[in-house]
Amino acid sequence: MIDPDANKACNLGLCPIKRTRYNEARSVLEDVLYGRIPGSEDGGTRKRAEELLLELESKQPPPHLSDLLGLNLFDEFVNGLEEMVRYRRKVLQPKVGLQVTASSEKNILIMGGTRFIGVFLSRLLVKEGHQVTLFTRGKAPIAQQLPGESDEEFAEFSSKILHLKGDRKDYDFVKSSLSAKGFDVVYDINGREADEVEPILDALPNLEQFIYCSSAGVYLKSDLLPHCETDAVDPKSRHKGKLNTESVLESKGVNWTSLRPVYIYGPLNYNPVEEWFFHRLKAGRPIPIPGSGIQVTQLGHVKDLARAFVQVLGNEKASRQVFNISGEKYVTFDGLARACAKAAGFPEPELVHYNPKEFDFGKKKAFPFRDQHFFASVEKAKHVLGWKPEFDLVEGLADSYNLDFGRGTYRKEADFSTDDMILGKKLVLQA
Amino acid sequence: MATLASSSSSLLLSSPPSKLAQASLPPSLRLSFSSYSHLSSLVSISPSSFLACPASSRRSSVSAFTVKASAAEKKKVLIVNTNSGGHAVIGFYLAKELLGSGHEVTIMTVGDENSDKMKKPPFNRFNEIVSAGGKTVWGDPAEVGNVVGGVTFDVVLDNNGKNLDAVRPVADWAKSSGVKQFLFISSAGIYKPADEPPHVEGDVVKPDAGHVQVEKYISENFSNWASFRPQYMIGSGNNKDCEEWFFDRIVRKRPVPIPGSGMQFTNIAHVRDLSSMLTLAVENPEAASSNIFNLVSDRAVTLDGMAKLCAQAAGLPVEIVHYDPKAAGIDAKKAFPFRNMHFYAEPRAAKDILGWRSTTNLPEDLKERFEEYVKIGRDKKAMQFEIDDKILESLKVPIPV
Repeated sequence: MIDPDANKACNLGLCPIKRTRYNEARSVLEDVLYGRIPGSEDGGTRKRAEELLLELESKQPPPHLSDLLGLNLFDEFVNGLEEMVRYRRKVLQPKVGLQVTASSEKNILIMGGTRFIGVFLSRLLVKEGHQVTLFTRGKAPIAQQLPGESDEEFAEFSSKILHLKGDRKDYDFVKSSLSAKGFDVVYDINGREADEVEPILDALPNLEQFIYCSSAGVYLKSDLLPHCETDAVDPKSRHKGKLNTESVLESKGVNWTSLRPVYIYGPLNYNPVEEWFFHRLKAGRPIPIPGSGIQVTQLGHVKDLARAFVQVLGNEKASRQVFNISGEKYVTFDGLARACAKAAGFPEPELVHYNPKEFDFGKKKAFPFRDQHFFASVEKAKHVLGWKPEFDLVEGLADSYNLDFGRGTYRKEADFSTDDMILGKKLVLQA
Repeated sequence: MATLASSSSSLLLSSPPSKLAQASLPPSLRLSFSSYSHLSSLVSISPSSFLACPASSRRSSVSAFTVKASAAEKKKVLIVNTNSGGHAVIGFYLAKELLGSGHEVTIMTVGDENSDKMKKPPFNRFNEIVSAGGKTVWGDPAEVGNVVGGVTFDVVLDNNGKNLDAVRPVADWAKSSGVKQFLFISSAGIYKPADEPPHVEGDVVKPDAGHVQVEKYISENFSNWASFRPQYMIGSGNNKDCEEWFFDRIVRKRPVPIPGSGMQFTNIAHVRDLSSMLTLAVENPEAASSNIFNLVSDRAVTLDGMAKLCAQAAGLPVEIVHYDPKAAGIDAKKAFPFRNMHFYAEPRAAKDILGWRSTTNLPEDLKERFEEYVKIGRDKKAMQFEIDDKILESLKVPIPV
């Protein structure tokens, strides 16, 4: 949800979040008008939609800030429409494809689940009525209240989530403990090496599905993009463990599904992706970007990824399939800096480009992304699973900011040492 | 059976497909439904690698399946074709593909049959259209009715106009003569540059662009219309240099000067992909109606990447040199055939709505292109590279003798 204060501070014409709502609002009303939503055949409803559309048209972003009255009216208008939009998304977004068993309760094991993806995934699964166990070493609490999560919701979740304490590198323990419990489905969110999978598969011969969190980092670098699931993979990549795991799964005959995210972002991100930008924006510092700044990357919201993980559960169409999961649009490095500023309500940042080859940063990372184009097509997941990201980039970054960094929480302290090296030299590259 | 709610805009399944997507249906089948409840022409079914699921989207994407109409549903198609430039080859390929599918095709080229422009490809190969059973005529689009001799058509494709002045007479005549489907070749160049590639259908366009005015006009005047936004294309019969620009330098062992970082994305499709998408629209008019389609391949390539692929296709090395056009004092538009920025659209609507698939394979396709390049002797042709020389001089790069 958008911070209402940010709303009021926003010029309708400037705030892209509002613009998104305008488009969505219009879209929903047109759907009603053309009878596309079940229940919209009613003439009264259609008339109301027509009236609202006219009202919406008249509320196009005004060119200047002064329209406070208009803003207030629009807020109520938008709230009402937001309800409709959520309804439409629920109604028109198909559920998990062909599957018959989605609603039946499953005994699910998540390897990991207390850090980032699993935190959101476990909640969705518990809400769907499944029995969910987290396999962790117990270093972090099994359940921690999320920012924005009500006490009731959290109590409900923490009363249901189960814990299996152990070290997944202790293969004997993994095998014995899993076979003792018996699970229907395993989500492997934190696995890195192929060896880690074997004891799990050995322990659970009747496993219905093994769902793996892989990575788009397995793709071989190419001049032709986006990466598609059928593209060549790089056996020498940093993520070869993920690749090897996928191969082992394929060879074992288990019903497996593998999701390949690109860069994941969202509240509680432990990888300083958006946080890296937010630190600099908050400090009012210029943002140093390597090279031309037109490198194209891609971010996917953790909540959309969690939903994808749920949508493949018990889904025949996901059987033995790989899916790229990330945002529908990609973004340039420069564009991402601007998007973070927009999302968090900061003024447009100063961008400073530099040639990374001219610096020795030692072990420090001067920029949180690989210095290359890197993005993957999510069309297969959209077509085959009917999955669709709910967050666009600015919305998703706003969600992350409002629930995390904007509340004063972050994982890594700001470290501007590499920035200062760059800014000290003040070299500006040709675009 | 899922209910189909048809409206003046495109098709949408209002409820999830229950009986349609049965597990018993082999996943390799793809079928499509139009609002014609009887599909007497339903004959051929094209396999594909995965089942498409309906997804709610503002594009109102259709159901899981697409059908190729057989020759039983023949259309009478008029292509109004430009007489020069990058788009010229589209009409040529489309005419041949439609004729091959059994449709009747007339291609009207703007201008005079005897003009010098007609000595260049694809026009100098129009005999191929005639021998396939098509008609070729020439004239002024403002007089289209007379030029086609008062014949009426089911489908009109305008592959000529860049603004309303050029297209209006064709559109008006089409409407008054009862043309059922009006198709327009627009341009992906009308998308407003943005931070978040790619350009997808529905993204903001430059409101003053001529093509935008045309799209608006046809959407208001035809109940069945579609607009196609292409980028660049390769293929035999192309009227405008694309890959040749790279080959010219590579075979002569000249450096390839690329403005900026060379990391800019562009989209270069084989023209057969454009033709197949347009053919699908002709043969599935209800599905295509009231839609914008990016008429491009499904992969982007960087400018550096294109240079490298051309070199690989030629089996030769390549030396890429980057430069800042301003610093070199040259007009990048004259120096280089592609835009000096990300210019990258994806064909999502065609995949969602028409079940279209891209077949462009640049590494392979460029090999064929290079073979033809050599076959016509262009590698031996004497050429001047004045602008290149100016660029190289400004960079103090040695100019090859």
